[in-house]
Formats: sequence, C-alpha cells, structure tokens
Amino acid sequence: MIACSDERRTAGGFALRYVFDVEGADIFIVLLSRVEDWKPGSPPTYPSVALLIPSATLYEREIKDMFGLVAEGSPDSRPLVLHEQWPEDAHPLRKDYTLQTKQSRVGDRRYQFLEVEGEGVSEIPVGPVHAGIIEPGHFRFSILGETVVNLETRLYYTHRGVEKLAENLTLDQVVLLSERISGDEAIANSTAYCQSIEKIAGVEPPRRATQVRTVCAEMERVYNHLGTLAALSLDAGFAYGYARLALLKERMMRLNEEVAGSRLLFGVNRIGGVNVDFTHQLARRAVEEMGQVRGDFEKVVKLLRSESSVMDRLSGTGRIQLESAVEMGLLGVAARGSGMDCDTRRDHPYGAYRGMKTDLREGTRRQITERMIKMAKAGGDVLARFEARASEVMSSTDMVKEILEDLDGDLRLRDLVAEDMLEPFGNALGYAESHRGQTLHWVMVGEDGHSVFRYKVRTASFANWPAIELAVLNDIVADFPLINKSLDLSYAGNDL
Amino acid sequence: MTEGEKAEDAPISKASNRGVGHSGSILGNHVETDKMLLEGTRSAPGFRGDVIFQPYVSRLDAELFKRGEEVCASKAIAVGPEGAALDKGKCIMCGMCQQVAPQAFKMVNSFAVPVTTRRDLLVAQMPGPGEGGPSQTVDEIGARLSHRIKKLLGRSLAIREVDAGSCNGCEVEVSALNNPVYDIERFGIHFVASPRHADVLLVTGVASRNLELALRRTFEATPDPKVVVAVGACACSGGIFGDTYATSGGIGKVVPVDVFVPGCPPRPEALLYGLLLAVDRVGPAASA
Repeated sequence: MIACSDERRTAGGFALRYVFDVEGADIFIVLLSRVEDWKPGSPPTYPSVALLIPSATLYEREIKDMFGLVAEGSPDSRPLVLHEQWPEDAHPLRKDYTLQTKQSRVGDRRYQFLEVEGEGVSEIPVGPVHAGIIEPGHFRFSILGETVVNLETRLYYTHRGVEKLAENLTLDQVVLLSERISGDEAIANSTAYCQSIEKIAGVEPPRRATQVRTVCAEMERVYNHLGTLAALSLDAGFAYGYARLALLKERMMRLNEEVAGSRLLFGVNRIGGVNVDFTHQLARRAVEEMGQVRGDFEKVVKLLRSESSVMDRLSGTGRIQLESAVEMGLLGVAARGSGMDCDTRRDHPYGAYRGMKTDLREGTRRQITERMIKMAKAGGDVLARFEARASEVMSSTDMVKEILEDLDGDLRLRDLVAEDMLEPFGNALGYAESHRGQTLHWVMVGEDGHSVFRYKVRTASFANWPAIELAVLNDIVADFPLINKSLDLSYAGNDL
Repeated sequence: MTEGEKAEDAPISKASNRGVGHSGSILGNHVETDKMLLEGTRSAPGFRGDVIFQPYVSRLDAELFKRGEEVCASKAIAVGPEGAALDKGKCIMCGMCQQVAPQAFKMVNSFAVPVTTRRDLLVAQMPGPGEGGPSQTVDEIGARLSHRIKKLLGRSLAIREVDAGSCNGCEVEVSALNNPVYDIERFGIHFVASPRHADVLLVTGVASRNLELALRRTFEATPDPKVVVAVGACACSGGIFGDTYATSGGIGKVVPVDVFVPGCPPRPEALLYGLLLAVDRVGPAASA
C-alpha cells in the first residue's frame, strides 16, 4: 500500500508511506518518503516504482488524482478516481480543498481505453448500470467471436469521499463511517479502524471484546461466503442450489440481527471494545444455529459437487496462475484459490486470533500446505475459489464455536478517548482479514488528538480488482458473471 | 408440520422432511429436501429499525437533545429554539443518540415507515407519548401489495434496481427480497434487467458525482409512467456521507423521487412497504 498525506503545513511537504507486508513474519515495513512543496506552476513529482512493483500503478494514479503528485516514469498516468468530468486541478484530499467544494463539470476530457485492433475484433461496453442487483462499474470487453481478448474495468462510480469525510468527523463517528465503506464488510473495516486508533492510544480492548469482535467477523465471513456461493450456483444455472444457499444466508442474517441489532452487523465495534455482548443464552443459540447452517451447507455443497452441469461451468474457468497472483499482490480467497498461502488472521494475528489456528478443520500446517498445492494445481479457477470459500465456511463455524464456548472476562470498557491518550499526529496501521482478504487502514490523528488528520483505506477489493482483467482472458463473455462472482469484489470498498 | 409444533421464540423453526420421493425425479436420488417454516418474522427485539423521542420529555430539556445532536454522525438531529427535530431520512440507525441520551431518544425494533414526501421524514419533538412504526410481517405487507398490483396494473410490477453510489448494504437487502424466504415474485413483483422494462426504479446510494449522469440517463430510459423509490438514508438525504464534493446529498437532487424508504439499510419488510406506496403511484397513472 502507498498512503499519501498532505503534511505541507506541519512537515513542509507531502508524505508518502510505502507499506510492505513481510512474508513469513508478523511485520509490516513502512518506508517514509517526503515530497517537497512544489514550485508554483508545476506539480510536485516523485519517482514511480510501478515498473518494479506493478501493483503500485493504481496507488500512483490514485495519488495523482487525490493529491496532484505526479509519479515520474509511470507506465499509466490516466485519471482513476476522478472521472473525466472533473477539472484537472481538483485534488480533494489536499488540506486546502474543503469537503463541501462543488466542482464544475468539464466536458472536453476523454478517458482512453486500450483499443484492440484486428479483423473480427469488436467491443462490448457494459455498465455502469448493470442488469443484476449489483454495484456500478464499467467493463469494456474486446472480443473475438465469443472469446474475450481484453477486458478493461473502469471503476470509482461509487466514490463517496470516505477518506476526506473522515477528516471532518469525530473519532467515534468514523467507526460508523468505516462500517459503511463496504456494507457487507462492516466488521472487518471497523475492526481495522478501531485497532489503529487503539494502537495509537496504546491500549488493548478487554479479552472478551476481542472475542466478540472475532465471532462477529467470522459470522460476517460465513454469511457473505454463503451469498457468493449461492450466486455462483445461480450463475451456473442451478437455481436449486441458489435457493438452498440463499436460505442459509438469510438464516445467518437473522442471527446477525439477534446479535447486533442489524442484519449487516452494523454497530458492533467501538473504539476500545464492542457494543454488543453474547449472553450465555445467545451464545448457545448462535452455536446451535450455525451448527445447523453448517450441516445443511455440507449437504448442499456435496450436491453441487455431484452436479456435472455446475462443476463443468466452474472447472477451468477464470484461471489466475500463481505467478500472476503473486505479481499482482492478490489477497484473500482470490489469492488462496491460486495457491498463495496468505491469511492476515494467521500471518499478523490480531484480537482473538492470537494463538488460534485459523484453519482448525485442516489441522496441521502440513495439511494446509498440501491443500494449497492441490489448489495451485487447479490453476486458480472458479472451482478453486469455490472450494476455498466452502472450506472457510466450515472453519469459520468451527472458530465461532470454539470462541463462544471459551468466552471469558467482562466487557468493561476503558475510557479510551480521553484526549491526552492520543499524541498529536500519532499514526498507526490497523488490519483485518475480511471475507475478501486483507483490509489495511492507516490513520493519523490530528494535532488536537481527537480528530482524524488522514484516513487511508485499502480494502482487499482494491488489490484484487486487476485480477478480473486477467482471469477472463480466453474465456467466453458468458462466463464473466461467474468469474466476477467467484472473485467477489466490492465496488464500494474499492471506490471509497 | 402442525400448529402445535410451531416455536414461538425462534424466528426460524425447522422440521426435516426427508421426502426424497417427489424431488428425486428431477434432481436425482441424492437430493434431500428440507421443509422450513418461517414464523414470527418480525424484527428481533434488539433490532435498530427506527428512532423515536422518548415520551414525556420536556422540550425545555435542551441539554439532552444537544448531546444527541453532537454525537449524530449523519446530522439527523437538529436542536433549535422550537425544540428538537429528527430527520429520519438522514438517520443511519446507529443508536449513538440513545447511548448518550437515553432519556431523550429511543431505538425501537419496528422499521421506520416509508413515506411519499421528504417532509414526512422530519419529526418534531412533541411532549407526549412517542410512537414507533408498524411492525408488519412480509406476508401481511405482501398480501396487500399483491392485491394492489393485481387491481391497479392487472399484471406484475417490474422493478429496476439502480445503485447510485451505495455502500452495497442496501444491495444486500434488495437481493434478499429474491431469496426463498421473501420470494417477492409470489406477490407479482419481479426485477428486470433494463430500465426500459421497468415501472419502478429502486435507487440506492448517495447519487455520487461520478454516477449522476448514469442515474439521469437510466431515469430517462425508463418509460412513463415511472416511479422512483429512494432506498436507504443515503438515497433519501446522503445519509452519513452527506452533501460533499463527491456526493449530491440524496438522489432527489438528480431525479424526482416518489417514495422515500428510510433505514440503514432498510430491512426487506420496509422495502416491501415502500413498494406498496410505489404501486399506488404507478397504478393510477398507468390506467389513465
């Protein structure tokens, strides 16, 4: 991740923080680089790293739009967040740009899509308003017959100004905002945000609070995976599988409602702890309900695996090779489906994941590795991601059971937001594994210690979106919905 | 399953009916069918569906309301010399006001009632008993809906869902309408793939600046008579995202809105209730 912040007033320039996740160790390395204030008339520049690290391209394009810093030598400098109707000199995340600015629309800019030329090649533009009940984005397919030869995605239609808005809210209100970065990732994002504030303040939430957080995080994973698998089944033309799985998802959402007062688990997290608790009765009910869901789920998955019409659609479709996955820096299920062994819950354990095996079902590390090798052999197709999700539903229900049976302590909240606890411009990295993958939140608090100076969010969707352009190559257009669903990308989580 | 077996407390009670026989012919002998019965589909006791003023709080108790105003992230609470006012179109049902001033605000588990004018979502604080919205079940609303659709349209109601910059929470609830529990096709409602086939546009999200044009074009592509339903706090008012450089402060700034469905996100029952209001709007125009 590259996090930029406008520190011209306080540190005489822009700051670029390059965050690297270290493989095999519980460490994040943060490199800080300062870009001095510019000479009037020319934008500030810094050297691009995109040719060394391809996944940096998107960050550099984002920084160019939001801060007006130009990455010199970048292979792609097209606008990203701000579409062509924005004036070129609008940079919303600069400190001298106010939240309520209403920019005029300009009409003379055009976005340059990659054009594929050749006999018989045609283009299909899709979106931003789609045919299904999904989020908005634009897809430009170049096809030869039915085969996709190139796909270009154009996102940021749901850009709501989350990061800028956070700078105008109180620390507690940003928790609510973080839940709404991507509605179905409420727990993961609010956990990551709360953790970064807790880290700045140097406090640990009570053990029971971390347990509740973790249980809710796993419930979130289960209901979303069930939804994704249901949709996969529907897109493969197997309505019965959809109906069964959608029913299970609904049951999970009702359980969410009982636990959190919200079907999407909004309102669980707060800085320093949680707002909800599991009574003995509720914990028993949750374990029982998830046990039933899991029992049914196993039956449905067994059925799906035995339906050749479904398996045939999933198998070999939307391949992402391991090398490409590593190069693009994929996260979560998308990465694990290609055999990349990464999971924030295990690699950077937080909250109640400390000292816990994240894949209880598989047992030893060796068995996990064997499963990964098997997946890598499958070449990261839709089926591999299907199986990865299915096994996570199992392991998550196991984890919920294990934690709920081991709840202890009380929820006594420490008075965290005492203003003197947060040092001026203190900053920290919060992270969590959502059902999509690692979500990273970097927060710097303001001079007064109780406002947000800069809130940088990088959800797993941001890292995983480029994968779809690769996964659809040489598949037919009709398989696109299936591939899209198998990667389960959030538009809102990407666009912010 | 007989009446006697129904469990009152559990929202879902389940009985297994391993009747392989009737489905076996279609799906092969390995398919098991389960019979699920859903009852008491009303909200869970702790569900945050609506916020009301506590009964019998003097409007002079400005201090309490002020506390609510300060903590409210979406600026739904406004305290003026006339007393406190609550904008349910902005409320994200987070319950923070109840946390800081339980004497003044109360979260209730019945959903906030959808309305046809933006003004109706503004609630002024009155000394007196507070009130919550209806807590009808899907089947109750659905039966009325299905009756209205048949009577007014004589065919099914076609809906086009448009995401105009939401967090995807509303999408989760809108797609829940299609699951076997809500199964709204049984009431004569179906989601269509194009605005050209739609009677109703179900719009979620803040109407982000990057989507304004697409929203306007979708509206223009929908044949008359058409009804626009704003779903969720964001579509009603901008919600927590408000009116900023990137948002419009509600879809009402871009297209005319006929029905407002408050909530963050509105639960499926509230969506159905909103559709009930929408049918009444599309019906007369269609038959005229």
